[in-house]
Amino acid sequence: MSQLSREQVRSMMSEVMAKQGKELPADDATPLDSFGFRSLDFSELALKVEDEVDEELNFDAPGLRSIRTIGDVLDFVQQLLEAEE
Amino acid sequence: MSDVTPIPPASVTVVSGGSRGLGLAIVQSIVDRGAKVATFARTVTPELEALAAAHPDRVHVASVDATDSKALTAFVKEAEAKLGPIDSLVNNAAIGQDSLHIHTSPAKIEQIVATNLTAPLVLTRTVLRRILAGPGRGRIVFVTSICAQRGYAGLVAYSSTKGGLDSAMRAIAREMHGRVLANSIAPGFFASEMSSVLGQTQLDAITRRTPTGLLVEPENIVPYVDLLLFDDTNTNGQVLVVDGGGSI
Repeated sequence: MSQLSREQVRSMMSEVMAKQGKELPADDATPLDSFGFRSLDFSELALKVEDEVDEELNFDAPGLRSIRTIGDVLDFVQQLLEAEE
Repeated sequence: MSDVTPIPPASVTVVSGGSRGLGLAIVQSIVDRGAKVATFARTVTPELEALAAAHPDRVHVASVDATDSKALTAFVKEAEAKLGPIDSLVNNAAIGQDSLHIHTSPAKIEQIVATNLTAPLVLTRTVLRRILAGPGRGRIVFVTSICAQRGYAGLVAYSSTKGGLDSAMRAIAREMHGRVLANSIAPGFFASEMSSVLGQTQLDAITRRTPTGLLVEPENIVPYVDLLLFDDTNTNGQVLVVDGGGSI
């Protein structure tokens, strides 16, 4: 599977927000609720990543509930990618 | 005047998933009523082993995978050999889900359907055949869920299986033409299940939205199982919702 860098995933996250006319804050510590990033936005990001790596990244909801910041999102995606390797 | 008599109380009941939680509480209650019970689970807990040891003539226990139909048939035969003709069933065993449908693998969906829908349908078929071959009349109870009637995120496959069971229950009530009482009990969210996956803030929010202010506990469900197994209420083809009013 092709691996994606943290920056590449961040760029995809920017694209998800751009579709809604929103800008992704630069600081990874920014809380997700401060710029309206919701659980289905995470799903959209996950599907983009899946398309890129050509693998499904299936996961349960409890892991998602602990995500609070942009950095948490990027960490979670990296964990999913590593789990698929 | 009709010569039809009410279906008698359960005397020998099969309970799926009786090793812990609600299933164990149902098994205990049946024993307390003086009836006989045969139960299985993938893993037999010490609590269930102790109950079987205390009532060797009235409790039959085995380790069986609910999705293994051959093992289920063998279990029912063993249970009848030990306890006598089976006349009732509580379909309780199920696995949960907590994942958005788009992030649930096809393999996981198949597992949920196999365990929560196919397995109880096969077990129900087996028990109905024993009822018709033996006592002639009996009672079937399905433990389903409020998810079969209301939409909850993260429970798509699970909800579909519970809705499927409610539909099957109604068809069985028709198909068995008064020889079998078939009903469902639809619990709301159990406090124990919810606390294992949700944080305190989410638990508090769900509890606030429930008019009674209480999530469901096994002891809320057991009296309804008793009612459907033992009492003469002429209830058939119904879903009894027990959720503190959370779905109203």
